[in-house]
Amino acid sequence: MDKAAAPGALPRQRPAPAEQDRKRRPKREREGAAWVFLSPWVLGAVVLTLLPMAVSLYLSFTDYDLFDPPSWVGLRNYTQMFTEDPRLLRSVLNTLLYVVIAVPLQLALALAVALALKSMKRGKAFYRSAFYASSLLGASMSIALVWRALFNDGGTVDNVLGSLGLHTGGWINKPGWALLSVALLTVWQFGAPMVIFLAGLQQIPKELYEAAAVDGAGRWRQFVSITLPMLSPVLFFNLVLQTIQAFQVFTPAFAVSGGRGGPADSTLFYTLYLYDRGFTASHMGYASAMAWVLLIAIGIVTAVLFRTSRSWVFYANEEGR
Amino acid sequence: MTMRRIRTAATAVLVLCLALAGCGGGGASTAAGGKVTLRFTWWGNADRAARTEQAVAAFEKAHPDIDIQTSYSTYESYKQKLATQAAGGDVPDLIQLDYRQISQYAGSDVLLDLKTQRGTLPTKEMDPGLLKTGQVDGVQYALPMGVGTQAMAYDKAAWRKAGLAAPKPGWTWDDWVSAVRKLKAAGYERPMTDPGQMEDWFEVWLRGQGKRLYGEDGQAAFTAADLTRFWTFTSRLRKAGLVSSAEDTTQMAGGAVEDSPMGRKRAVAEFNWDAPSAGYEAMYGDRLALAPMPAGPDGTPGQYYKPSMLLGIAADSAHPREAARFIDFLLNSDKAADILGVDRGTPVNSHQRTRVLPTVTGFQQQVAGLQESLQGKLKDPPAAPPRGDNGLQSTFGRDYDQVSFEQASPREVAEDFLTEARTELRP
Repeated sequence: MDKAAAPGALPRQRPAPAEQDRKRRPKREREGAAWVFLSPWVLGAVVLTLLPMAVSLYLSFTDYDLFDPPSWVGLRNYTQMFTEDPRLLRSVLNTLLYVVIAVPLQLALALAVALALKSMKRGKAFYRSAFYASSLLGASMSIALVWRALFNDGGTVDNVLGSLGLHTGGWINKPGWALLSVALLTVWQFGAPMVIFLAGLQQIPKELYEAAAVDGAGRWRQFVSITLPMLSPVLFFNLVLQTIQAFQVFTPAFAVSGGRGGPADSTLFYTLYLYDRGFTASHMGYASAMAWVLLIAIGIVTAVLFRTSRSWVFYANEEGR
Repeated sequence: MTMRRIRTAATAVLVLCLALAGCGGGGASTAAGGKVTLRFTWWGNADRAARTEQAVAAFEKAHPDIDIQTSYSTYESYKQKLATQAAGGDVPDLIQLDYRQISQYAGSDVLLDLKTQRGTLPTKEMDPGLLKTGQVDGVQYALPMGVGTQAMAYDKAAWRKAGLAAPKPGWTWDDWVSAVRKLKAAGYERPMTDPGQMEDWFEVWLRGQGKRLYGEDGQAAFTAADLTRFWTFTSRLRKAGLVSSAEDTTQMAGGAVEDSPMGRKRAVAEFNWDAPSAGYEAMYGDRLALAPMPAGPDGTPGQYYKPSMLLGIAADSAHPREAARFIDFLLNSDKAADILGVDRGTPVNSHQRTRVLPTVTGFQQQVAGLQESLQGKLKDPPAAPPRGDNGLQSTFGRDYDQVSFEQASPREVAEDFLTEARTELRP
């Protein structure tokens, strides 16, 4: 880039004494260049995120079927959600149940794998990458379809259990089991929290364990009294992140239930119902209102988590070391 | 103005999301200078895609100045994608529509009045009754691409083993139940797929009693008592082990033949539409046969001839004349009729119909045979379903899960369904 021309492109450049100008110029140039490099992202954020969000907020106060122009209905979508939609209530309960099952299971698995990796002497980097990469696949549509085949009536899981004399006749086609099989698919996606746990584990000073060992603490005692408290900030971070994600679960349930959230609405999660209202029933206004309620609900849950964290998250540097 | 801009922006984003999700199909995308390019979208399976591509290629060969870009998907995602495109003002030039969509699209100025293309697109060889199915308020917005009817697909071998004769037009629901009982006695556990989960079969059952699904006012014309009786009937069959279990029935949600009890070889008979029953051929081969739907107690037929799908031109299309020429080719020409056969139902053009029906082979013979056996016996098709019916169709199956898994009584669920129908239908 031409050095002299670049600052001129900035809209409000004051004529400054030559000396000062020479000092300032590099910084301004850097800022200008920064904006140039940021522009794809900024453009994306504004056009693809902020603008649609604003439009969706507007649509949430309208009746909009995609064909006729939206007509303003005030708060009707919101009141309807809370007063006359039993299926919505069902979807909220399903989602809460799912979060309560899937998040702890996923974090427990992530922590277990991280602990196993930490104690490895060799090949740690390889196994870390291997676990992480394969767990990313868990989020894909294709794996969700594989899941459907595995847990179906006559699928692999059914056959294996059947050969052990535990015939179940499939999981995803039974209202009592479908949600659990979708939750298991989420547990598979333990890679990201696992990597963060591993990083956290490596931060814990070895001396603490050595001192505990001298005092006669066993492995379990060490885990409860040292690892967990020292890891609690990382645990908290993972908990918040995974909870937020779990509330928005969509793909596995959509694929496993063929888009309907069945059987008998047992995997009808909030986002799935939102999609159904918007794209199948053509109630885009109602779907937008649902999206905003979800945003607020996730905000509240996160705030509550932060509030409770004061009593169980331990920050080592607070203790005035 | 700003309202419109907001709408456009919102839908542009939706369209983009769908495009990114990989809905786009394959097809010749040779963008060439001076050529007229038309976009043509439809829903269907791989077999239909192969035949359609072949017909498109034949058309392009005859009209080197026209390039047709195709894309297709399954029906459920097609519906959603097209609605989003319509909202964004980006409708493809040529669109395939279901009978259930016509009211919505014609009523929203998405479709071109085909009278404007009368010179290019003659319709005089088409059956006037069927042409009507593409009209809304007297304006021809789309042309039927084929004629289909409801049917029962069954395994001939099982039928023979149970000592049953092939069902004839006019057989009643009672005859049907006794046939299913005989199949069970012959060793077929749950021989039939539970018909309670599809609104289509409920409609046939209703019409057999001289009733109908929707009235002139575009509202439901049946009562909660009617639906309760239907679901009580199917539930009794399910409890007696005559139709598929709730666990098997619910897996049909996605609509693919492969997921249905008969497609998974759990049942030996299943209701379906005639042409789409081709999907069972891979599993049953020559043993696959089609029978008419059961009729009402006095032999009143419940099934009807329906336009299997309609084809229209976007009102915004820059090349309506070329689009009309393509429709003319697909529906009226010998060449296209030979390639397509009865894949989208039997031809609407009477000349092609008499020419093609005797020549079809394999499973397509079953479709032709069924329709010939019903010739002149069926009642007029119902008027195009009202707006909002699209979503209700899915709700019907969803609600039936509550009945089949015995989470609520048929009456409770039937009342819920009618409550939802009242709010969803927008005549």
